[in-house]
Amino acid sequence: MTADVVKGMVATRFATAVNIGLVVIVGVWHLGMDTLHVLRGWPVYEPQAAAAGSWLALTVIQTIGSVLLLRSVLSARTARSLAAAALVTGVVATATYPVGETIGDVSWAGNIVGWFGVLLLIQRPLWELITLLGANMAVTVGFLAADGALDQATVSHLLAMAYTTAGIQLTFAYLARQLNAAAREATEIAAGQAEYLARATADETVHAERRRRYEYLRIRVEPLLSGLAERQLDPADPVVRQRAAVEAARLRRLFAETDDTPHPLLHELRACADVAERRGVRVTLLSYGDLPDLPASVRRELGEGALLVLSTAVTRARVTVVATPEEVVVSVVADAPPETLVKSPGPLTVSALYDQEENQLWWENRWPVRPAP
Amino acid sequence: MVGKPMACTSGSLTVAIIDDHPVVIEGIQTWLSEEPRISVVHTGEAVDVEPGVADVLILDLNLHGKLVIGDIATLAAAGQRVIAFSQFTEQRVVLESLEAGACEFVAKNEGRAHLVNTVLAAAGDRPYVTPTAAGVLVGDRGASRPKLSSQERTALLWWFQSMSKASVARRMGVSVHTVDVYIRRARVKYAQVGRTAPTKADMLARAIEDGLVKPDDITGYESAVVGVG
Repeated sequence: MTADVVKGMVATRFATAVNIGLVVIVGVWHLGMDTLHVLRGWPVYEPQAAAAGSWLALTVIQTIGSVLLLRSVLSARTARSLAAAALVTGVVATATYPVGETIGDVSWAGNIVGWFGVLLLIQRPLWELITLLGANMAVTVGFLAADGALDQATVSHLLAMAYTTAGIQLTFAYLARQLNAAAREATEIAAGQAEYLARATADETVHAERRRRYEYLRIRVEPLLSGLAERQLDPADPVVRQRAAVEAARLRRLFAETDDTPHPLLHELRACADVAERRGVRVTLLSYGDLPDLPASVRRELGEGALLVLSTAVTRARVTVVATPEEVVVSVVADAPPETLVKSPGPLTVSALYDQEENQLWWENRWPVRPAP
Repeated sequence: MVGKPMACTSGSLTVAIIDDHPVVIEGIQTWLSEEPRISVVHTGEAVDVEPGVADVLILDLNLHGKLVIGDIATLAAAGQRVIAFSQFTEQRVVLESLEAGACEFVAKNEGRAHLVNTVLAAAGDRPYVTPTAAGVLVGDRGASRPKLSSQERTALLWWFQSMSKASVARRMGVSVHTVDVYIRRARVKYAQVGRTAPTKADMLARAIEDGLVKPDDITGYESAVVGVG
């Protein structure tokens, strides 16, 4: 699911880049080139109001289209309507040219209507743009025919112009589409790889966790049980009893590990417990509440304090983790010497006290999930 | 799997034990036999008992590979006091047992004293919170969790951590009795949430009678309060 989101984001970002490029090209073309054209040919347009009006109308269409496109809210219907409006405005603008100047120095509308098509129909199937460009070309041909100017020279001029305007526009639209498709494909492949990697890592973690538990059974519990069964170990011997108590505590702890991919903090604490158990300390480890993601430094600090107390515990230790919506509290109560009391290496609230009456060290470390107001 | 009715031996407080491991049943019997007020009247390996089989029913949550939390709800609805006794100490299991109407949850590794105390408390409809249950309650993030005071939360948390009310009392700077009141009050608040059950109503009614909570503190159990008389 996350991979899909990432995939979507990358592809969307890429399409946005293409769209911004397009908006800039069309903006520079219309507001720069067209404006210069219209100003330069201003005296010859007839009526001038229609020329100015069509320039203004195209500016409005361009603004609306650009904003909608960049906001990704340009619907198919709006895109088509705006393209059609641009085409009609182009007809009006062309009508103001002097006779014989349909594809001359003062003509400006044909080319920009094509670019408007690219801008507005970028998210539509390519045939819609081809239709618009065809209609736009038909308008030019129609005006040339009406002027009676369709001689051989004009036709070759027209073909050259079609090649440099509609041809470029179509190529641009085609390439943008290809780039978008390539981006989508690339992000799909990358997301697929990331997903595969994540799954493989998770599988590996699960496998390692299980192997750790089986390994433990083989090395520690099996010899103890077979020793008892074969009467090599005496159940009355205090040493054997202590060993059995430690192993029983550890087995209970392993039974409680129902999560195959434990939270990193629990993973660290379990490792600490393992070390202590190897020294013959009976360790209980309990965790309640859903642990949030912890910054690595916080996790290290919580883990290190617990490790310190566990490493000095003589026979028993109780490690508890409680996650409430407000804080994460890690505590170790153990028969460790009072000298273990040390200052916190970091900014967390550590309180440790030695309980004389119970002869035990009670260490607690709190991390506020939400910073105190 | 047929349960064995037993001759009432000594105490006036009757207990039934259901567990699929005979060694556990015998272990519990040995633990309880040291308490003269208690007598075990029934043992069995399946939840085929009638409500009212004993004052308190100690029920292993996992019988032949199946969780029997649903049976707790049925028994509690019929007014049977049930103590959930299990090696499974996941938060979900503990909370669901209490929600179903179990008087208490006792983890199998918590030892004799906690089980005996729980039985004695449950028989009088009084709360007793084991350290395991305290950890579960203080770490509960459920939407329907009751609002606990900061002392109640601290007492639960430290009871879970240290397993010594004397230690908690020294650390909080209050008496052991006060620590116990905080812990029991927190537990009683849990009897007010979720589905209603006679066992929960009885606990609330007794808590009011004992002055542990005031009737005004109770939100959803007016009918139970009226019944106290």
